[in-house]
Amino acid sequence: MDEQTGWLFDVYEHPRQGVSVWLLSDQGTRIHLLMDFPITFYAAGDFKLLRQAWIFLRENAQLARTRRQDLFIGERDVLRITLSRPALLANIIADLQRNFPALDYYDADIPISLRFITRTGVHLLGRCHVTHNGNLIQAIEPLDSPWQIEHAPMPLRVMILTPSVDPAHCPPSSLKVKYERVEYSLSVNPLRPFLIGLQADLLRFDPDLILTDHGDTWLFPNLAMWCKESGQQVDVNRDREKDVLTRRANSYFAYGQVVYRGAQAHLFGRWHIDRKNAMMFNEYGLDGVLEQTRVTGLGVQEMARKSPGAGITAMQMLTALKTGVMVPMHKQQAEGRKTLTRLIQADRGGLIYQPIIGIHRDVAQIDFSSMYPSIMVNYNISPENESVGLDALSLDVTRPSGLIPQTLKPLLEKRLQMKQMLSELSTKDCEIKSLRARAAALKWLLVVCFGYLGYKNARFGRIESHEAVTAISRELMLQAKEVAEDLGFTVLHMYVDSLFVQKEGVKDQSQFLPLLDAIRAQTKIAIALDGVYRWIAFPPSRKDARIPVPNRYFGIFQNGEIKVRGIEARRRDTPRWVANGQLKILSYLSKAASLDEIQSYLSHAREFVEQEKRKLKAGQVPVQELIVTQSLSRALDAYRSPSSAARAAGQLQSAGREVAPGQFMHFVFVRGAERVRVWDLGVDARMIDVKRYCEMLDRAVTGLVSGFETAEIRLGI
Amino acid sequence: MIIMGRTVITITQQLTETESMLAPFRRALRRSDQYIFDGIFAAARRHITAIGQNESLLPFESALLAIMLEQAKDIAALQHEIEQIKQRNG
Repeated sequence: MDEQTGWLFDVYEHPRQGVSVWLLSDQGTRIHLLMDFPITFYAAGDFKLLRQAWIFLRENAQLARTRRQDLFIGERDVLRITLSRPALLANIIADLQRNFPALDYYDADIPISLRFITRTGVHLLGRCHVTHNGNLIQAIEPLDSPWQIEHAPMPLRVMILTPSVDPAHCPPSSLKVKYERVEYSLSVNPLRPFLIGLQADLLRFDPDLILTDHGDTWLFPNLAMWCKESGQQVDVNRDREKDVLTRRANSYFAYGQVVYRGAQAHLFGRWHIDRKNAMMFNEYGLDGVLEQTRVTGLGVQEMARKSPGAGITAMQMLTALKTGVMVPMHKQQAEGRKTLTRLIQADRGGLIYQPIIGIHRDVAQIDFSSMYPSIMVNYNISPENESVGLDALSLDVTRPSGLIPQTLKPLLEKRLQMKQMLSELSTKDCEIKSLRARAAALKWLLVVCFGYLGYKNARFGRIESHEAVTAISRELMLQAKEVAEDLGFTVLHMYVDSLFVQKEGVKDQSQFLPLLDAIRAQTKIAIALDGVYRWIAFPPSRKDARIPVPNRYFGIFQNGEIKVRGIEARRRDTPRWVANGQLKILSYLSKAASLDEIQSYLSHAREFVEQEKRKLKAGQVPVQELIVTQSLSRALDAYRSPSSAARAAGQLQSAGREVAPGQFMHFVFVRGAERVRVWDLGVDARMIDVKRYCEMLDRAVTGLVSGFETAEIRLGI
Repeated sequence: MIIMGRTVITITQQLTETESMLAPFRRALRRSDQYIFDGIFAAARRHITAIGQNESLLPFESALLAIMLEQAKDIAALQHEIEQIKQRNG
C-alpha cells in the first residue's frame, strides 16, 4: 500500500477499468491512478415496459426495484441499473432509448467528474489524501472544501504556444514557445524538425496546461495531420493510451443571436485551453476558470470552453446527487396554464425606468449586490416550489430550502466574502488581481443561474420561478425608490438593480450611507455604493430629443474614474479609432473638477476631433484601428439584402474560405461599389472610405458633447 | 426582431404599434403639428415603467394618463414662471 497527498488534477472514464484519476502530488510528481467505479442510473414509467427493460438488461447490469425522488413528481417507483464501469453507459443508454423511448431516464447523462465528487467528497483541484495498491486506488478522502476562499496554490506548469499570425489571416510561419524562462520561435517549416522540437519541449518540461491561441482550430488539428504525414510522433497527451479528443465546430442560437463555436481539442492527463476559443477567458482568465472548476465540478477544459450556464447546471446536478434527487435526462416541466391577465402580470422583466434627460451633478449610484440570486435564496425560489409572481413575497418559512437556493447559497456567500476582502485589500496587493478574477467568475455563475430558471432546456428550470424572481425584484426596486424619496432624494433613474439618486447639498459618500442603511433594512438585500458622480449624463434618443434612453449614460466619478454604458465605445462593432476617440473626449471632460469648469475643456475636445480627422485624411491612422467587427447573423444565402458583414463573408467565400452563421467578420469600409473589404484578404490604406469614418467619429462625439453645448446646462429638475 | 422567451409584447412595442396605427392620422397633420404630435408620444415614453406597472389589458389608457401628467407638469411649470414674472414686475 502506498499513500499520496496532493491535488486532484483531473478525472475521466477509463475504457476498461472505472475511472482514470490524475494526481498532482506534494512531491511534484504527476501520478496516473485508476479506481473501480460502478455507476447507477434509473428508469421509470409503465411497469410492463420496465419489466421488458429488465429482461433486456439482465445480462449486462445489476438490477433492482426501488423508490427514488423526482423533484417535481415526488417519490416514484424506479428500476435501478448499475453498470460495472462508466465506459459501458453510452451504448446501453442509447440501446434503451431506442427500444424503450416511452420510459423516463434519470442520472443517465451526468458528467463523470460530478459522480466522482459526490462519491468521494474530493472536488476537482481540491487537496486530497489517497491510499493505493499499485496504480489502483483503495481509498481517497478530501482535505479541503471548494468553499474555502484561501487554498493551497496548485504548482501548475504552463506552456504557452502562439502562432506568428492569426491562421485565419494567413498560414503562420512559426510557433512561439514559452515556458519558465524559455521563450523562442519554432519555425513550422521544414516540418520534421518542427515536430521533433515540439516533442522535445513537451518531454523536457512536461506541462500540466498548454495554453494556446488558435490551438483548437489550427494547432492541434494540423499537428495530428502533420504527425500522420511525416511519421513523427508528438505526445501531446500525458495519458499515452488516449488520442486527442476533437469536437466539431457548430453554430447555435442563444440569447437572440447566432453564436459560432469553433472546433475543440481536449487532452488527457494534461489540459489544453485555447484562449481564442474560450468563451469568457478575456473576462476572468485562468484564475477564473480554475475557480469555476473548483465550485462546479466540471473539468477545466470543459469549463474554459462552455458558458457559465453549463457550470450552474453542473452545480444543480451536484446538489441533486447529494440530496438524493434524481436528475432527469430530459426536461419535463412545461409552462403551466394561466389566464391572459395573469400572463400580462407575470411575463415581465426587471424594473427599467426612464431617466431624466440631461446632465446632473453629485449623483450617487447604488447597486444591489447579486440581487436575483439573493432573491432566490431569501425567498426560497425553486422550481419545485409552486409560486407565481408576488405570491412568493409572503414567505412560507416552514418549507425546506429548495434545490436552487441550496445550490446558490454557498456560492453567494463566497462571492460576498471575496468582495468584502477586495474592498479591504490595498490596490497594490499582489493577491488582488487573482481575487478579482475569481470573484468575477463566481459572479457569472450567479448571473446565469437566473436565466437558466427560465430556459426551456434547463433540467431544473421553470418559467414561473423565473417570473417570481423578476416580480420580487420590481417590488424591491419600488420599495427602494420610496425609501429614497421619503429621505428627500430625487430618483433620477433605476435600472434592474441600480438606482441613481441626488439630493440638494449632498455630495460626500458618507452622506449617502444613511440611505443605504435604510434601503438595506427595508429590502434585506446587500447593497453597495458604486460611487458618487461629479456629473452624469443621460442623453436623449437620437430620433427624438424628448425621449429618454434607459441604458445609455456616461459620467465621471469623484475620483476621476469614467463610467460609460450603451455608447459607441462599449459596442463590439465600433472600430477602435472611433471608440478611442470617444474615450479620449471623456478623459478631457474628466479633467474638469466640476460641471462649472467643463466649457473650457470642451474646446480641447473639439480640437482633438479635428486633429484626428486630419490624421485619417493624411493616411496616418493604422488600418487595424478602423476594423469593424460584426457577426454573421444567418447563412449567406438567407440574406435578402446583404449587411456589411454578409458582404465581407461573401468575399471570404469567393476566396474559398468557409463561413458559418455566428462567425465574426472583420472588415473595413472602403470607397466604391465594393463598400466593405474583409480584413483577412488584405486592405490597402488608400481604399479607406474616409468620409464614412469621419461621420462615425462625429456622431460618436456629438452624442457626448451636445448636452454641454446648449447655452445653459440643464441641471435636471 | 427576435423576442426571446417572451409571449407578451412590451409596453414600448405596444406604443410603437399604436403609433404606426395612427400613421395616416399623423400624415394628414401639418408639419408643425406633427412635431407636437410626436411630443405627445414622447411624453408617454417617459413613463413606460409606470404604464407597465399597471398590468392592464389596455395599456393605452394608462399611456393617455401619462400624456396628461406631462401636460399638467408643463402647465404647473408655466404657472410658476408667470407667478415669478408677476412678482418681479411688482
